[in-house]
Amino acid sequence: MIRLTGIRKSFGKDDVLRGISLEVNKGEVVAIIGPSGSGKTTLLRCINFLERPDAGEIRISDLYVNCSKASKKEIHALRRKTAMVFQQYNLFRHKTALENVMEGLVVVRKMPKDAARERGVRLLEKVGLGDKLDAYPSRLSGGQQQRVGIARALAMEPEVILFDEPTSALDPELVGEVLAVIRQIAEEGITMIIVTHELGFAQDVASRVVFMAGGAIVEEGPPAELFARPKEERTKQFLRRLAPEYSI
Amino acid sequence: MGLPFDISYVFSFVPKLASTLLLTLGIVAGSLLSGLLFGLIAALPRLYRIPVLQQASVAYASFFRGTPILIQLFLIYYGLPELLKMAHIDVTRTPVLVFVILTYGLHTGAFVSETIRGAVMAVDRGQVEAAYALGMTGPQAFLRIAAPQALAIAVPVLANQTLALLKDTSLAFTLGVMEMSGKAQSLARITQHFLEAYLALALLYLAVAFILEKLLLAAERRLLRHERPGEASGRFRLRRGLTLRKLASGLQGGTPS
Repeated sequence: MIRLTGIRKSFGKDDVLRGISLEVNKGEVVAIIGPSGSGKTTLLRCINFLERPDAGEIRISDLYVNCSKASKKEIHALRRKTAMVFQQYNLFRHKTALENVMEGLVVVRKMPKDAARERGVRLLEKVGLGDKLDAYPSRLSGGQQQRVGIARALAMEPEVILFDEPTSALDPELVGEVLAVIRQIAEEGITMIIVTHELGFAQDVASRVVFMAGGAIVEEGPPAELFARPKEERTKQFLRRLAPEYSI
Repeated sequence: MGLPFDISYVFSFVPKLASTLLLTLGIVAGSLLSGLLFGLIAALPRLYRIPVLQQASVAYASFFRGTPILIQLFLIYYGLPELLKMAHIDVTRTPVLVFVILTYGLHTGAFVSETIRGAVMAVDRGQVEAAYALGMTGPQAFLRIAAPQALAIAVPVLANQTLALLKDTSLAFTLGVMEMSGKAQSLARITQHFLEAYLALALLYLAVAFILEKLLLAAERRLLRHERPGEASGRFRLRRGLTLRKLASGLQGGTPS
């Protein structure tokens, strides 16, 4: 279980997160939606300390971190319990698909290479890239690169996978293959927090949708409810603008 | 001046000069290694924005990039012992070669520091974040992710610097080091066949530069093998054609691009 309490973050005078509290249960898939600049990506990056929160608390199962005085050791422990899939994939460009998946296992988890390779092959097959094990990222399409990114995250067997707009950088015709993989692993009961613009996908896959605006959570609920009967005016506005088909 | 041109002298000079080739290559290798070390040391404070050291690094780079290498040789050779004397260190017995390699090392390091800085900044930040997200430490992310890619980016520039260094070593004879150029000068004076001596010298530099160029290109390809989109054999043929031109221009100007 993950519990965020009072997460605050500002860049200079700009308060990006104004005290976010959020609870995610094991096996839950939470989609975070909201206009750009609402702080949803920053929130995600605060969970694994790619951005250091100014204040707040993060609890992931038995690990508790007070953000304002987190030590290097605590940050490292947080990162071991999480994995991230990036908007720009961020694959290691000098390593093959398989090496990308093995890297964290070998370097961070100190897993023997044979075992890491075995797991890497299994996961790349799972995301449909069994024939691209030795391909460098420069030879893969965006959709294939993102699927390697997902395999790399899965390999670490984290308590939660953080998806940062995983399909925003993709050509429209490649979005489907990545969403299909995410849907597949969601069904296996892996806890996920997904920042996304794909409202249809959020409705389809998420067990809960969180709507953020101006650095705060405006409203949250099961997707069917939130999309069909938004309570807050800001949510209604956002849905009207982004997805007219949801408006009442 | 000198005796009439006789091509046979060129051929007889080549092996004589070649006997000093090892010394020239030794100076190049020593200077390159110390240059890489100085360059890395000078680049780090600027990459990590360490106050004071950062300014010192900028001053170092602008001095060695902005003054002629001949003057740097004289300043180090005559100036450093004076400075060390103040610290009660006697270096009068230190071989002149040490000063030569130190100067070329410092000179190369100034250029290398700029190259390293640019190359590390060119590796995209996202990959380093991905490494952190996997749980890597700062040094692990730098050594395993950023550094190998930065090296690949830097190799073409470092190759130019190596060729420039090779030619710059011809100034070492001004301090009395009998490397290839010094030997050519003395051969010319003794035999009075100036043109032949310098022609033989030019041939040797050209041959060494050609081999170095090939080796460095192979290193570059190996380091950049991950950036080849598709089967690009056609593109490589094109690049091989460019090599000779690059070599020629390198021998004329020798300024790192």
